[in-house]
Amino acid sequence: MRIAILGASGFIGSRLVEMFHLEGIAEVRPIARRVSSLAGPSRFQLDCRIADGFDRDSLASAFADCEIVVHAVAGAPDVILGTIAPVYEAAEKAGVRRLIYLSSASVHGQNPVSGTTESSGLSLRHAIPYNNAKVRAERRLRRLRARGTVELVVLRPGIVFGPRSSWVSSFADALIEGKAHLVDRGRGICNSLYVDNLIEAIRGAMSAPGADGEAFLLGDREQITWADLYRPIAEALGFDLNTIPDAISVAPDPMARRLLKRARRSPLARRLSSVLPKKARRALKSATSSLEDPKVELSAWTWPPPPRSIATLEMELLGSCRYKLPFDKATRLLGYEPPVSFDLACRRMVAWLGFAGYPVRDPSR
Amino acid sequence: MPSSPVRVALVGCGAVAELSYAPALRVLSAEGLLEVAALVEPNPESSRRLEATFPDARVHRDTTALSEGTVDLAIVASPPRFHAEQTIQLLREGVSVLCEKPMAATSLEAEAMIAASAAAKRVLAIGLVRRFLPAAQTVRALLAQGVLGDIQDFHFTEGGRFRWPTRSADYFRPGAANGGVLADIGTHLLDLIVWWLGEPMDVRYEDDAMGGVELNCRVELRFPEGFTGTVRLSRDCDLPSRCFIRGTRGWLLWSIHAPEHLTLHFEGTACVVSGRLHELPAGPSQPGAGRRVANFEQSFVEQLRNVVASVRGDARPFVGGQEALAAVRLVESCYRHRTLMPMGWLNEVEAARAGKLSREGSAR
Repeated sequence: MRIAILGASGFIGSRLVEMFHLEGIAEVRPIARRVSSLAGPSRFQLDCRIADGFDRDSLASAFADCEIVVHAVAGAPDVILGTIAPVYEAAEKAGVRRLIYLSSASVHGQNPVSGTTESSGLSLRHAIPYNNAKVRAERRLRRLRARGTVELVVLRPGIVFGPRSSWVSSFADALIEGKAHLVDRGRGICNSLYVDNLIEAIRGAMSAPGADGEAFLLGDREQITWADLYRPIAEALGFDLNTIPDAISVAPDPMARRLLKRARRSPLARRLSSVLPKKARRALKSATSSLEDPKVELSAWTWPPPPRSIATLEMELLGSCRYKLPFDKATRLLGYEPPVSFDLACRRMVAWLGFAGYPVRDPSR
Repeated sequence: MPSSPVRVALVGCGAVAELSYAPALRVLSAEGLLEVAALVEPNPESSRRLEATFPDARVHRDTTALSEGTVDLAIVASPPRFHAEQTIQLLREGVSVLCEKPMAATSLEAEAMIAASAAAKRVLAIGLVRRFLPAAQTVRALLAQGVLGDIQDFHFTEGGRFRWPTRSADYFRPGAANGGVLADIGTHLLDLIVWWLGEPMDVRYEDDAMGGVELNCRVELRFPEGFTGTVRLSRDCDLPSRCFIRGTRGWLLWSIHAPEHLTLHFEGTACVVSGRLHELPAGPSQPGAGRRVANFEQSFVEQLRNVVASVRGDARPFVGGQEALAAVRLVESCYRHRTLMPMGWLNEVEAARAGKLSREGSAR
């Protein structure tokens, strides 16, 4: 079976290429947007192709003779949405049998309500634009599938971690730079999914008969917290997770901050400022102060305090999660059983940290 | 040698020609030191932008049109597998050559290039631009004067997602490419090691090529004086791009992408000195700092200025073929001793297959 992997140089795509090729699961065709992105898959002798995810013709040519296409392109909302129709139509043109789309569990929000399943309604009112883009992408794909011939399987993985994952490297970087923080002491549920377990689900999705048109939530078997995910990273680098502070406030997304700044400088705001009584001005300032960059009073006579830890809105929501998303539908229809335990996944994650040049205390772990 | 501008041919119109050589050529052309007389590029699509930059240059599809009568200096910036063949042919035609790194795919080829240069009595310089960086030159001087005492060890790392805007997938194709990250940026670091510390006596090398070209590699070097060092390179992981050397009297740290800065620590002190390099003040004035040293781009121009002066007979090439040969030998030795890097995230089936593919790749 020949499988085209779109987004082959990304974190999930690169592990998918590596695992499918080394295990001989399928004949892999990595597809990347630019020549420089072929550096990763070129560790192997593979039939790599260049195609722009927005360009139907170059995609169709890259998909030629492939039975399956995995859409693993990551990116901003415009990339998420702009690649949907070209990829589906190119797959159709190339005679692809099935398209596996990597959506995200965040279509249900970063902090899903208890009882959420694949059949829960999806909203376009998420505060995080990425979530809305993934919801729209799924809807577009469903419409394309309704009138097209290429089968569609939508996977909704949770927090995918593993070698080359930014969840791992960014926390490791933050620890080293002294900027790491937790939300609620890391007690929130992390809907983790080790990348090899996601690949196991992709493997099932390639041929599962009743999967066409379905969406599947995916996760690791164990229920874990953010502290469980972060602790092995901290320990490997010689840090005690208990000493890592909690973030002190929610930082709204940069767009909100920019809008506030602009609003404050507007002529209307200036006029209001001169008209409103002092008390009202103070109340207004206090209400909007959490949207501002934190400022520290500096003096030549004192040392600057350590940097304040600020959680992004996304991390604040993720860290508040109290619900483990189910994956029983994937078990039922894709035959998905996570082959890698969380403990083994953490050992492999730490092995990668050592490989990637992080000062891991015992890289043989 | 000509007193009029040196006539230059740019052989290969890819990314390095466009991003590095073209701006440097324009600077020296404006100074009247050279003129770009020819562009050589088999692919018309690739040469189009440089044709617009150098409208007076004649465009050729191969190097056969170049000779002593048409150009004085050829900059060979074609894919590395063509370096030896093109350089030797040009030298035989009486044209001096600045060959971009890596000098050649093998030491045999490099030696043939050096011999061709000697036979033709023409300049052969190699584009190892990092030797022109003020920080690299300062490190060499500090080490030569024993400022750090006896060297204990060193650790060089450089890496990040590969973003060089190469246009050809040949860059990653075994057989077409001379290698991966080692042959590419590794050539620069191994050259600096030899230049600063001498030639190692023992090499251990591992990378992650499994039938293709390596994305990551690690080199361990042992020196006759007893110290050891490591070099870790990646086109994948965000490694700090830096050279760290520790001696009995202190250590130094150079961040490669900050060529105007250096950090030093001396034993017995509780501080490090970290700062920007300046030239010595002009004239016999009070002690102090002169103007800022050259940045990377200016150093690239200085490299070209040195080669042009060498072609005119006014200087010696700062990095001639013989000087660059050691790095070629070292890269060759690494590939000869290659083993697979441990990749602890692979499962048993993957690890077994990875080992097999790596061994088959080495045998090719």
